[in-house]
Amino acid sequence: MLAIRKFRFIHHLLCKNAARYNTTDRGVRGLYDRSAEISRSNDDMPISMENPYKEEPKGCILCNVTVDHKNVQLLSQFVSPHTGCIYGRHITGLCGRKQREVSKAIKKAHHMGFMSVTLKDPSFMKDPNICHIKHME
Amino acid sequence: MPRYELTLILKAMQRPETVATLRRTVETLIERGAVVRGLENLGERALPYKISKHGIRHTRGGYFLLDFHSQSEILPAFLDHLKRDVDVVRPTVLSKETAAANTRCCVPQPEKPKDALPRRK
Repeated sequence: MLAIRKFRFIHHLLCKNAARYNTTDRGVRGLYDRSAEISRSNDDMPISMENPYKEEPKGCILCNVTVDHKNVQLLSQFVSPHTGCIYGRHITGLCGRKQREVSKAIKKAHHMGFMSVTLKDPSFMKDPNICHIKHME
Repeated sequence: MPRYELTLILKAMQRPETVATLRRTVETLIERGAVVRGLENLGERALPYKISKHGIRHTRGGYFLLDFHSQSEILPAFLDHLKRDVDVVRPTVLSKETAAANTRCCVPQPEKPKDALPRRK
């Protein structure tokens, strides 16, 4: 019995809502159509274009620079002046490929007798600091 | 393009002796069937660290770069010969094949959408 009452209640609600949406009120519809025409003629819709504030894709600082084991001055910029150890990626800010190239070149230079292992050449101490590291003075 | 590059660090000597050493080295190479492309002098400078070789502790040396084409079979014997030379402090042979040109160098990866689930470690 309860089920029947619930069904009747739901049925009543549906009929009410159906009546609302199935309205054939021509008048209201007509108004709506005319307003659409007005807005189309104003033409203030957004124009499709590519993002004018788009930033160009940035690469790392050694993007188009060939890394050579003979170029000791360049390699020394990625090496600590106190210990001579090679800085990690989080300090140099280089991309994966260039970091690996620099690391390999430094180790090659060490072995071949181009670059010092435990210190940075004193003539390269005044070079600009590219790595994000602050030394305690 | 040069196939191999020999980086030669010679003892700090007077010019005629350096010339003689280089001449010996190049003649040895040519005997073993290599084609020498060129020789570059990087100057005499202080070594980055003291190198002890043949009973002498070297602090200065002359740096020379020798480009040559050769068979790969002669290299171990050639390096052995160089190591026995008293005037040579450090010989290193590197292959100098040109790497494929990287056009897309350092192009930053497109950012992952923030909805992406983090990778499980």
